[in-house]
Amino acid sequence: MNPNATLYATLLLYGAGTLVALGSLFTRAKRMQQSGLVLMIGGWVTHTIWIGTICARTGHPPLTNLPEAASFVAWTVLAADMVLFFRYRVDAASFFVYPLVLMMLTVAAVVREPFAQMNPALRSNIFTTHVLLSTVGVAALLVGLAFTLLFFLQDRSLRSKQRGRLWEWIPNLEVCRTLSYRMLAVGFSIYTLGILAGILWSYRTTAELIDLRVKQVGAVVAWVLFAVLLQSYISGSVRVRRMVVISACAFVAIVVAMLGIHHV
Amino acid sequence: MSLVLVGLNHRTASVAVRERLSIAEAQVATALGEVRTLAGVDGAALLSTCNRVEVIVSANGEDVIEGVVGWLTGRSGADRTELEKHLYILRHEDVIKHMFRVASGLDSMVIGEPQIGGQVRAAFAAAQSNGTLDSLLQRLFEETMRVAKKVRSDTGIGEHAVSVPYAAVELARKIFGELRDLQALLLGAGEIGELTAEHLNGFGLKQIFVANRSHDRAKQLAERFNGEAIYFDAIEPYLATCHIVIASTAAPHYVIEPAHVERALAARKSRTLFLIDLSVPRNIDPAIARIEGAYLYNIDDLQQVADANRELRQQKAEQAEVIVSREVDSFRGRLIAQDAVPTILELQQRLEVIRAGELEKCLRRLGPITAEQREAVEMLTTQMVNKILHYPILRLKDSAGAPHERESLRQTIRKIFGLR
Repeated sequence: MNPNATLYATLLLYGAGTLVALGSLFTRAKRMQQSGLVLMIGGWVTHTIWIGTICARTGHPPLTNLPEAASFVAWTVLAADMVLFFRYRVDAASFFVYPLVLMMLTVAAVVREPFAQMNPALRSNIFTTHVLLSTVGVAALLVGLAFTLLFFLQDRSLRSKQRGRLWEWIPNLEVCRTLSYRMLAVGFSIYTLGILAGILWSYRTTAELIDLRVKQVGAVVAWVLFAVLLQSYISGSVRVRRMVVISACAFVAIVVAMLGIHHV
Repeated sequence: MSLVLVGLNHRTASVAVRERLSIAEAQVATALGEVRTLAGVDGAALLSTCNRVEVIVSANGEDVIEGVVGWLTGRSGADRTELEKHLYILRHEDVIKHMFRVASGLDSMVIGEPQIGGQVRAAFAAAQSNGTLDSLLQRLFEETMRVAKKVRSDTGIGEHAVSVPYAAVELARKIFGELRDLQALLLGAGEIGELTAEHLNGFGLKQIFVANRSHDRAKQLAERFNGEAIYFDAIEPYLATCHIVIASTAAPHYVIEPAHVERALAARKSRTLFLIDLSVPRNIDPAIARIEGAYLYNIDDLQQVADANRELRQQKAEQAEVIVSREVDSFRGRLIAQDAVPTILELQQRLEVIRAGELEKCLRRLGPITAEQREAVEMLTTQMVNKILHYPILRLKDSAGAPHERESLRQTIRKIFGLR
């Protein structure tokens, strides 16, 4: 069987799940939203199988090239979203998380590279730690950004006294703020450790602390922006509009860093 | 078996008529007993709320209607012709639909109100504990409660507040979620402010501070909410510790200004403050709405929220009606299929007796045959019987047509096949 059959099945399920969930935005039917969730869970299961297949074939985590990394981030983001959904019933997050997951997996499918064995010279525990922590950190940060966006939308609705389509689906302001802060704090810590592991690995292999290419610049810019965002939460000086602008820039920086991932 | 419902509600009768028929909790057992003993009644239940009085019975025919109307007339002490103007009489499928709609809040004065679900459950429990339910009514009530639950969870019809005080509570919950650990400050002793504070307090506020020009009145109110009275000219420090501020004073000027709120927000960890201005003229400067972290709603804003919710409930009621119709069809189909079961069983037994008897005769004439041959003949005759029964059974289970047509079909089939 084609090892990528599960990837295409996942793509199909994510596509259907996203469409159905977005459709519920117009019909306002909870059942439709639940059907979308079921399709996404189905997709997550086949996604897990695909990731497992890569691990079994290559003997290392699926993080050595762009499609694998994008797929792993998508997998982690959806897992985090599902955990938060079952804990807090945050329906609205799906309207942002599902398309994001679908987009990342589409990148994985379109820019598909054959299952690649890692260059043996690069095999090391520090490298594995670097990629694993970086991708898990990015996933948590992306979920944090989704909740920052929800916080912004809910704040606008309350301030303008106009209910948008998302009013019913978005949880209360406090939940949005808390989840956004927690996901950003956890994601930022893991991401920082990932970057530090990357610097260490770079120093050991090339005797340089950092190689200033697109990936590294994007990662550092994103790190700085997330630090500013987190500082706003910690100091209590939350300016919603400013936070959304920083979040958007941080998202772009993360995407640039991911697109800069090349085959290693 | 037929279902019959006789009753009146807020649309068909004024409160003067409804109160005469209203059944107090202590009288329910006696009333149920009286209805159950009416001629022809197999099962009975009563639903009595401030908006409706309904008698639901199951019987073998519709003759019971006369007795139920008579019983209601006797209870009301009114002239029968006069009372009949207010009554509605529903039969079988209309009863099912009506019960589903009532329990879902679709027939209520305020669409989607949640109390009616509990009242239907209480009516069921009362009839059950008094032993006046037969299996048909038992199933009807169980199904009614299941459908009501489904309607509420699938449409969220009762989730949105339709009064100003509840709209304020809904917004507070949309901002803070749980209200348990929050503190509120009530300024003034206006009636609507008091009501709003009462509703908020119902969600378990940690503390309410009350300030009024008359400190004695503030003390009275604070006692009522188990809160604390404070002096009106010393409210500013409390703005820094409270999460919700309700202003409802008769002051002709702003009592809270932007500078107060800016200082209060700067002095606290939680940077969110919900201000509810229920006074006319307004007591809270509208410029506060521009401050980050402050959410200000005045009486008109809250009224708009309540109006928008009312419209939303109307839209959800349309979705709910679709669910109710689907569930009525499904329940009706199951009841009809269940009604047909005794006839179907008799029919199958009758033909099986004929098949087995005729087969025995035939086998005696044939003489010895092998086990395989016997099995083949058994299978052939069984299949023939099943094919003959296929359409009659299908027709008996068919839910289309009026009840009397289905009854007539059942009688015809019984006659044709010689069933007793």
